[in-house]
Amino acid sequence: MEGKVIVITSGKGGVGKTTATSSIGAALALEGKRVAIVDMDIGLRNLDVVMGLENRIVFNIVDVVQGKCKISQAAIRDRRIPNLFLIPASQSDNKDVLTTSSVERVANQLRKEFDYVIMDSPAGIEKGFENSIVGANEALVICTPDVSAVRDADRVIGILYSRSLTPKLIVNRIEPARVERGEMLSHEDVLEVLSIELAGLVPLDERVLISSNTGTPLVLQNDSKAGQAFKRIARRLNGEADLPIEVPNHRSSMWRKISKTFGFKK
Amino acid sequence: MINFDSSAPVRLKGVGDGFWITLDPSHPENVIKSEIDKLFKNLKHLTINASVVIDVKDAKGHDDLIENIRSYLINTFDVAKVSKPTEKRSIPTERIRQRDLSKGWNHHRSEVLMLRGRVRSGQKIEARKHVVIAGDVNPGSEIRAGGDVIVLGRLAGKVHAGYPKDETAMIFALEFKPTQVKIGEIAAAGINEDFCAKPEYACVEDDGIVVKDYMKANPFRKLPWPEAV
Repeated sequence: MEGKVIVITSGKGGVGKTTATSSIGAALALEGKRVAIVDMDIGLRNLDVVMGLENRIVFNIVDVVQGKCKISQAAIRDRRIPNLFLIPASQSDNKDVLTTSSVERVANQLRKEFDYVIMDSPAGIEKGFENSIVGANEALVICTPDVSAVRDADRVIGILYSRSLTPKLIVNRIEPARVERGEMLSHEDVLEVLSIELAGLVPLDERVLISSNTGTPLVLQNDSKAGQAFKRIARRLNGEADLPIEVPNHRSSMWRKISKTFGFKK
Repeated sequence: MINFDSSAPVRLKGVGDGFWITLDPSHPENVIKSEIDKLFKNLKHLTINASVVIDVKDAKGHDDLIENIRSYLINTFDVAKVSKPTEKRSIPTERIRQRDLSKGWNHHRSEVLMLRGRVRSGQKIEARKHVVIAGDVNPGSEIRAGGDVIVLGRLAGKVHAGYPKDETAMIFALEFKPTQVKIGEIAAAGINEDFCAKPEYACVEDDGIVVKDYMKANPFRKLPWPEAV
């Protein structure tokens, strides 16, 4: 059976595409699937840094697309998580070196070799974005709860629809305490504007920065809220569509249980 | 239930901008006058400047009686005009009925663009005439219409009605929250304050764009007859 190519995109930069790509990829691999994560941000690669695999790069996606090497030569195996592979971007080229037809060809090859191919799209809606969505079967749109990210996500969703892709939404960096105080858009506000299917909600987690800087997968840290949220998203993508979506809450679940028992509100 | 066949000396009915009095001239004049008096006193200020039609049904003549009542009504209740019913139906009514029978809109080819679904950021909708959108219009989108813009949902984009110069155009939305509004050549910036979700519409008044509560000032209520647009 052929695998799926899932593109992770957002329009706006810095909303957590790369973190989401590496976390969801790693979580799917932990579920026992054979996963390739592909950095499509040609010229500004950083998925390799986030995954801690920078020093092992020999070939990259541009080499694969241009036929200079095989997929198996460019795919770097992650030593911590079996079945997880990274195909890095090129740092020296720019986004115009790839053509949509050649990327589509490689996407079809990848689909044959892996269960899941997660593509990390660059910010923006130009050539690099076009290249990353051309071979995709599914799309995930990442959005943070702020007005500009929602605006850009809305634009991207429109483009994805026009390419017959029905995207799902991940709302990232939710700060439940600030949502409760009314300082931040809630995920409901975001959904009201974007109105697409929700894939998951990810709370703000300071561990994300630490794990990106040290190159350790977020999903391997059991006490990381964001890591756990990405794990649930991966399970949902991997067939458990009914897995309920957990809304981040700033009180601990123990306190909630006690409150419920004594009949306190909230 | 009202018994229309009753032979009460005076019967009163409200019509259009006035009243219709049906008299039974077989009753004595003073009885009729006192009955009218009773009915008109109940109407209070509504009689002022009203136009009154006196109908004696099939009874012919009685011009004296009508004339007496006419002067009585004008002097006592300040009505504007007292007349007899016209022989035929008024021409406008007749014309309207004909129009109704011909059902002009059955053969009307509409230039209205009607869309269903969400208009997203970056999308631009251009229509030669009116545009109706059954769905929300997200911020960052643009709508430009030669005529009216009607949004059955939340309008939060940039909207231009009456492009290029028609200032009679209007913009309606169930939730009126545009970032920028333009009607004809007049533009206004959207206001974020005091937003509450209610049907509103924008139109041009005294060279400026005003936004009104649709339920209070429905602009279509004034139109007496459905017209195809």
